[in-house]
Amino acid sequence: MDFVRAVGCRILSGLLLTAWVSLPAAGWGASLSPLPAPKAQKPAQADLGRYLFFDPRLSGDGGISCSTCHQPAKGWGDGQALSTGYPGSQYFRNAQTLLNATYHQRVFWDGRLSGADLPTLVRDHLTEAHFMLVDGRLFPERLKQIPLYVNKFKEVYGGEPSFGGTLKAVAAFLHTITSRNVPFDRYLKGDKQALSSQARKGLAVFQGKAGCVQCHNGFLLSDGEFHALGVPENKQIFKEPLRHITFRRFNKVIGVPNYMNLRADAGLYVVTKEESDRGKFRTPTLREVARTAPYMHNGVFATLEDVVDFYDKGGGRGPNKSPRLKPLGLKVDERKALVEFLKSLSGDPVFIKEPELPDYEIRELGRN
Amino acid sequence: MKFANSVEIEEAAMKGRRKNGFVGSSMAACVIAALLIGGSGSAQDEKFPPLGPLPPVPIPVDNPMSQGKVELGKLLFFDARLSGDASTSCASCHSPESGWGDGGDLSRGYPGTQHWRNSQTILNSAYYAKLFWAGEVPSLEAQAKSAATGNVAGNGDTMMMEERLRQVPEYVKRFREVFGTAWPTIDDAWRAISAFERTLVSHAKDVPFDRYKKGDGKALSESAKQGLTLFLGKARCVQCHHGPLFSDEDYHNIGVPKNPGFEEDPLRQITLRFQHVIRGVPESVYRKADRDLGLYYTTKRDADRGRFRTPSLRELKYTAPYMHNGAFFELEEVIDFYDEGGGQDPNKSPLLKPLGLSDQEKEDLLAFLLSISSDKPLLVQPPELPPYAVMP
Repeated sequence: MDFVRAVGCRILSGLLLTAWVSLPAAGWGASLSPLPAPKAQKPAQADLGRYLFFDPRLSGDGGISCSTCHQPAKGWGDGQALSTGYPGSQYFRNAQTLLNATYHQRVFWDGRLSGADLPTLVRDHLTEAHFMLVDGRLFPERLKQIPLYVNKFKEVYGGEPSFGGTLKAVAAFLHTITSRNVPFDRYLKGDKQALSSQARKGLAVFQGKAGCVQCHNGFLLSDGEFHALGVPENKQIFKEPLRHITFRRFNKVIGVPNYMNLRADAGLYVVTKEESDRGKFRTPTLREVARTAPYMHNGVFATLEDVVDFYDKGGGRGPNKSPRLKPLGLKVDERKALVEFLKSLSGDPVFIKEPELPDYEIRELGRN
Repeated sequence: MKFANSVEIEEAAMKGRRKNGFVGSSMAACVIAALLIGGSGSAQDEKFPPLGPLPPVPIPVDNPMSQGKVELGKLLFFDARLSGDASTSCASCHSPESGWGDGGDLSRGYPGTQHWRNSQTILNSAYYAKLFWAGEVPSLEAQAKSAATGNVAGNGDTMMMEERLRQVPEYVKRFREVFGTAWPTIDDAWRAISAFERTLVSHAKDVPFDRYKKGDGKALSESAKQGLTLFLGKARCVQCHHGPLFSDEDYHNIGVPKNPGFEEDPLRQITLRFQHVIRGVPESVYRKADRDLGLYYTTKRDADRGRFRTPSLRELKYTAPYMHNGAFFELEEVIDFYDEGGGQDPNKSPLLKPLGLSDQEKEDLLAFLLSISSDKPLLVQPPELPPYAVMP
């Protein structure tokens, strides 16, 4: 019931906001709107997910948890250009924030999974060799060795710790990690003082001269589409053997031709194998962007100023570059205003109390 | 069990194969042929394939030996990059210093886990037609892959390990020389490791019993000679431990006592249940899992509960603890166990009966058992491993 009500509410509010509160979009025909309420979650299930999110026993060698690369104190990313990945490997893309993951239509920088199914996103992270490399039949047996989990699974699902129950619980927790009390949302809802005059000026640039809103629109400030911007390659992927290994292994497994000689992240191409998709990446949300440096799929830009400069120059060079990108001729004060506006997209910090994880305990042998 | 011909033996060898196991039937035949040719009958043990020096190592037709391959295999055997988190090499659980096992009763396993079986010696594994305690795979090549990828052993991802090898110029060069491929492949890694393992065998000149069989009457002490007579007779060991390998490669339940580790260590309990899950036993069996069911996991037949493949007795001086679960730390305990007619189990082999050995007879048997080991342990220095490099 809660679920139905929440979804209905979300659709309704989306319609209303589009109709009533959308701002003049300076000819781009795209609108911005406040974040709808997240789907309601069962508190006990989300709380179980909170424990599991922080528990390294969900990885093959017990070395890393979800929170290793998605740290609450680092905007729910890891603060690095390129993510770490499983021990003994190094990943080749930037760890995205989990804030507002509940709203995405597609997930991963190349959009290879649907955002409508977060349990599958969790599954991919647990079992993939570059992430947590755990066998889906092994970790439930670990959880059964921990009375707290035995009790919580029973409370939530009426059964013992399980693979599917774990995925659903972590997903339920992720659904609760959303922006709160965001100045820009307050502004959209009528509180004109919620944005500084600088930020308001930045909003005008965002929607007008800079054209950001062409792709960064809707309540997520993302069109959910794929675009090639010509972001410079992050050379570390190929200079650091462990990253190049992971990069090749990924491209091999996903079936990219000539992966041994690939020296650029092909983005959406790895999913579709269409040349017209090479170099395209999914538009990320700009919500909480001030907390989620470094930027882009490969973390090549350290600051928001770097990103604004990149767009001001009309983006970079590369295949299939979007025709939307053109030199903008932004003045210094316009760039500053734009950054101020971007900062207004951050809400109150979302810190989650890190659970105290209980140790394994002995069970009575033969009573499983 | 006595086999009439090699076909029968080959069928037995294949009985235990798993769905995902690679079956090298020609290899199995090759092993058997070698075993049969290698034996020389004598009056005292004609009922069973005779004891004696090992024949030349059987080489599978699809993995011929070469010096380059053996050297490559040695590097790979010691290279922890052939595991999930690059922490665990073959040698981690099969250390030359520990008789090519790991010296523990139960193997240490992959980080974050504890294994559930004793780590067997690599020595003379080249002669087995079925590997692992319950004979789950038919070749060293399949064993290497299974161990490196098993979630409580190496937990390696084959694709990731293959790309790691390709990032090491020295490996690219060596794989190209040995296998003729542009890039290393993971299946060739298993082949190279197996080739190296086929060099880790007992040599007759180093083994007192083998020297004795070759005519050196002084190679065995009088006590050991008495022990040999007991081995072939009163102690009944030869029923299962026969042929040059001292193993019938058949499956027997001898009622080995439980390892208390499963009562006391949460990580061992996790692995025990996990094994029941991945081997696909009925849920009713999983719910009551309290021990290793051995051959049952392959066949799902109750009669196979607790049956394990007879291990070789060669080199046992260096390979304590003993049994599939390391239940015995000393050979004396093993002898006492058999003297009492083995342990308690509904499926216990009828071959086991109380032996009534005297203290002297036990000593003699021990002296003989020790004579099947090399005079000195077979050691290999861990090699220096080639590093990763940036790929042009």
